[in-house]
Amino acid sequence: MMRLLGYRAMQALLVALLVGVLTFLMMQALPGDMAFRIAAGRYGYDMVTAGAADAVRAELGLDRPALQAFGLWFLDLLRLDLGTSVLSGAPVIDEIRHQLGASLQLAGAALILSLLMGLPIGIAAGLRAGGWLDRALLVGSTALRSVPQFLMGLILIVLVSIQLGWLPAAGHGRPEHFILPALTLALGLAAASARITRDAMAGVAASPFYAFGRWKGLSEGQMLRRHGLRNIGVALITFLGLQFAMLVEGVVVVETIFGWPGIGHALVHAIFGRDVPMVQGTALMLGLGFVALNTLIDLAAHRIDPRGARP
Amino acid sequence: MFIRFLSSAALTMTLAGPSFATPGVLDVVAPFEIKGADPALSGNVFIKMDVAETLVNSDTEGRLQPGLATEWEVSEDGLKWSFALREGVVFHDGTPLTAEAAAHALIVAQGKPGLLETAPITAIEAESEHRLTITLAEPFAPLPAFLSEYRSLIYAPSAYDADGNVTAAVGTGAYRVTRLDPPLRLDVEAFAAHWQGEAAIRQASYQAVGRAETRALLAESGDADYVFNLDPASMARLTGAEGLEVMSVPTPRSLLIKVNAGHPALAQPEARAAVSMAIDREGLALAILRYPAGADQILPPSLPDWHVEGLAPLPYDPEAARRQLADLGWTPGPDGILMRDEERFALTLTTYPDRPELPLSAAVLQQMLAEIGVEITIDSTNSSEIPARHGDGSLDLALVARNFALVPDPIGTFLTDYAPTGDWGAMNWENEEFSTLIRGLARGEGGQAERDRAVTILQTDLPVIPVAWYQQTAAVSKGVIGAVLDPYERSIGLKDMRWAE
Amino acid sequence: MTVAATDIPLAASRGWSRTQATGLVLLLAVVAFALLTPLLVPVDPLKQSLRHTLAGPDAAAPFGYDHLGRSLMARLAAALRLSLLIAAAAVGTSALLGVGLGVLAAWRGGLADRLASLLADSVLALPGLLTVLIIMAIVPNTPLAFWIGLSLVLWVEYFRLTRATVSRMIVAPGVQATRLLGFGPFYIFRRHLWPELAPMLLTVAALGAATTIMTVAALGFVSVGMRPPTPELGLMMVELLPYYREAPMALMSPVLATFLTLLGLNLIAGGRRA
Repeated sequence: MMRLLGYRAMQALLVALLVGVLTFLMMQALPGDMAFRIAAGRYGYDMVTAGAADAVRAELGLDRPALQAFGLWFLDLLRLDLGTSVLSGAPVIDEIRHQLGASLQLAGAALILSLLMGLPIGIAAGLRAGGWLDRALLVGSTALRSVPQFLMGLILIVLVSIQLGWLPAAGHGRPEHFILPALTLALGLAAASARITRDAMAGVAASPFYAFGRWKGLSEGQMLRRHGLRNIGVALITFLGLQFAMLVEGVVVVETIFGWPGIGHALVHAIFGRDVPMVQGTALMLGLGFVALNTLIDLAAHRIDPRGARP
Repeated sequence: MFIRFLSSAALTMTLAGPSFATPGVLDVVAPFEIKGADPALSGNVFIKMDVAETLVNSDTEGRLQPGLATEWEVSEDGLKWSFALREGVVFHDGTPLTAEAAAHALIVAQGKPGLLETAPITAIEAESEHRLTITLAEPFAPLPAFLSEYRSLIYAPSAYDADGNVTAAVGTGAYRVTRLDPPLRLDVEAFAAHWQGEAAIRQASYQAVGRAETRALLAESGDADYVFNLDPASMARLTGAEGLEVMSVPTPRSLLIKVNAGHPALAQPEARAAVSMAIDREGLALAILRYPAGADQILPPSLPDWHVEGLAPLPYDPEAARRQLADLGWTPGPDGILMRDEERFALTLTTYPDRPELPLSAAVLQQMLAEIGVEITIDSTNSSEIPARHGDGSLDLALVARNFALVPDPIGTFLTDYAPTGDWGAMNWENEEFSTLIRGLARGEGGQAERDRAVTILQTDLPVIPVAWYQQTAAVSKGVIGAVLDPYERSIGLKDMRWAE
Repeated sequence: MTVAATDIPLAASRGWSRTQATGLVLLLAVVAFALLTPLLVPVDPLKQSLRHTLAGPDAAAPFGYDHLGRSLMARLAAALRLSLLIAAAAVGTSALLGVGLGVLAAWRGGLADRLASLLADSVLALPGLLTVLIIMAIVPNTPLAFWIGLSLVLWVEYFRLTRATVSRMIVAPGVQATRLLGFGPFYIFRRHLWPELAPMLLTVAALGAATTIMTVAALGFVSVGMRPPTPELGLMMVELLPYYREAPMALMSPVLATFLTLLGLNLIAGGRRA
């Protein structure tokens, strides 16, 4: 257990270093003047002029050598200070809190929705491997996964909002705004988690101890609760943890379509506006969050099934 | 959270009505993201949502009107402006509007990049409790117009911290901020103590939606009451949609090709005229913008002061363009591209994707210029590359959508862009007569004849090649009355709107 | 962007299942369309004709015209060529990198293994989107940036799979015997490891290609990928979207092309015999 935590700590450090190096390279290899880019991000295309760029350069001390800037960033990081956004002037940590929060809510909603859809279907298909439901799941999930998310979002908006008028097409702030973006993310995820559940369940159902349980005269429901769920738990939790992290970082497309103020949206803006502190902060939070999540998954998997000690 | 989410999902599934506009809240959707409370960053949002006000207002025709200042006068020598402030105005924090407070707001605004910074201001002072004076280094007639711009919004002293950073949007407007969630959301409610009385619509929300397609869908589904800026294709689709009124109005924004007049191939006005003649403006406007607004001179008829009736329009004549280039010594090379000695008529057209029609228009222009043997490479990049390349001289051509009415008086833009050059205007172009005319107009000397002459010079010398005039568009729900589409993009008429019964 | 294989088979069987064959046929059909169209109907995908705006099919443009009167068929073929090329390049590079490092880590073990694994885990922790976007900010050529960025993201999956498989196999009696007989590492890799790895790598490769195509399209769709007027699937969709009422078929063509390509790849990846 201690070895595992030590490994994760090393990983966290390396993540921070990678973020630093990548953003350092970005600052070095910029096609274009950073002050101009920031001025365009701040004041918009109608107002970006050489004068505005000069003011930005003076204000932010962009004349500093990049290596020195990198060193300063790392020093600030050690003091747990992520700096302030060069675009809005607000502390990076506040911006991340707001935007990561919105993304987490959306990802959480999508995850729950996908479990409600994927889990029962996966279990049912796995118990009767090769049956009609199993085959239908294979076809359905493959087809669903072949629809890019932005397409799915579009289809849902046109169908549910425009044609049926059931739900708002986009927006943020009220509960009903959750449904379409969460559903867009959840459909693809449900397809995948149903398959994972199905494979794990089929494996368990075909195992000797499951057959033995049946001999003992346990009912299907008892079997599932006693042996089935516990055994598919590890596979599913590992998979879902990975997926959750990807949901948070990967919802940028869904966020732009639905006007959702999330982290992906913020990241794209920060990169295009050359908001280096914001890019560093966001990447760092996401990377470290992923490491933390992995640690939790390791611990959870260990708890559910103490036999399978992972690295 | 998830319990709430699920139960509300179930609820909405069963109770869903045809429209999702929140009852009692006017939902405004526009493309502009909120970058912060500072007017220099997002004043355009706060002025549209009637959160804060300027000393001078302008109406939808660009005429100046009293705002927080009821009247203003200028001294004989044109160097000292005096503004009488409206009495009985209070900020959202309850403090009264004083000349002191207004001067502070303007001094902060002047210290940031923007138009006010370019005005020859030497001092902004409170003369008495309700009288503000601005001292100039030289006469500057458009000063009141500059003060009507959104970066000159007047915030309460409590909105600023000790370093002059804006921490909150505390204005005098008809609405006060209840929730500010940059970058996408702003909620406001009617301010009971507003000097014009409480507005009829009690609550409103602003949502920034960057994608034009999504904005159109929001209008179509009835989620938003006022949707600002529609893309041309959606505009055609929404016209005639049930429960929606689609508005459009010509704006003082022009689609222009900025030309490096120092480039060997473009140095002669005849060469620039040949490029101009290759452009089928009507065809481009109809295909891309979807309204007949090909620009045959720099500004549209909706700006009568700066539109010259009877000026010979810029022609479309590719045949003549080819002849004119042949006269300049260009002959078609083996691949059809013109050559002159070892020089190839190949140019880079820089543009930016922030406005989706720009790269599309660039693609159309590329084809049109290929017809006369000019090779165009499109570089669609960050908008800041245009001033940057202007600065280092590496720009050939740039396709820009230039707003001539950042202040209601286009003289401000002409002054910064063309007298003699500017980041978003002329490049390596110097016309003594033009500069003299414009500087004179800025000092308040001269009138219509001088303006006409200036526009005529631009038409014959072509430091920029006009392509099309823009229209501003909006879709408004029939559930509200009194919405305004302001060509100057200052107001949506929020404080005067009411619900239809 | 959904990077990473979602369900990698723990033990893949040899040979192609019927589902996989279907996927392969689908993919080959898409590739054939992309490559043959310029030969059969040679039209410039950038050539505009404003008179043909959103017009229906004719001999020069069997799929009709887009909003600028460009042939949809020519544009679709060009867009598919671009996406498939980026996918092939990214999959090839990441596979080479991932398998190479994976074999090395498993073979050498010890510190090399520990370091390589740590690097892989840390790269995995970085948001893939961030890596791709930052590379795009550094490298001005967009297809090249996609190639580099996606290769940097995708290699981890190959590495993890290869390392796990090889370190399991290397202690197997067959491999040990071959080693004792004095055969070199290359022979062992070809004779013992590759047959075991290949079917699994195929799955990862197909999913990686799908990820690449989806990423390129998605970033094009949110206007941060390829730039107009380049024909690209996501860009075509976003450009044609406002016309969905006037010309639904014009919008459907890039949608269907994307769907069929991804379906083909997903069938190859997921349709192994149980």
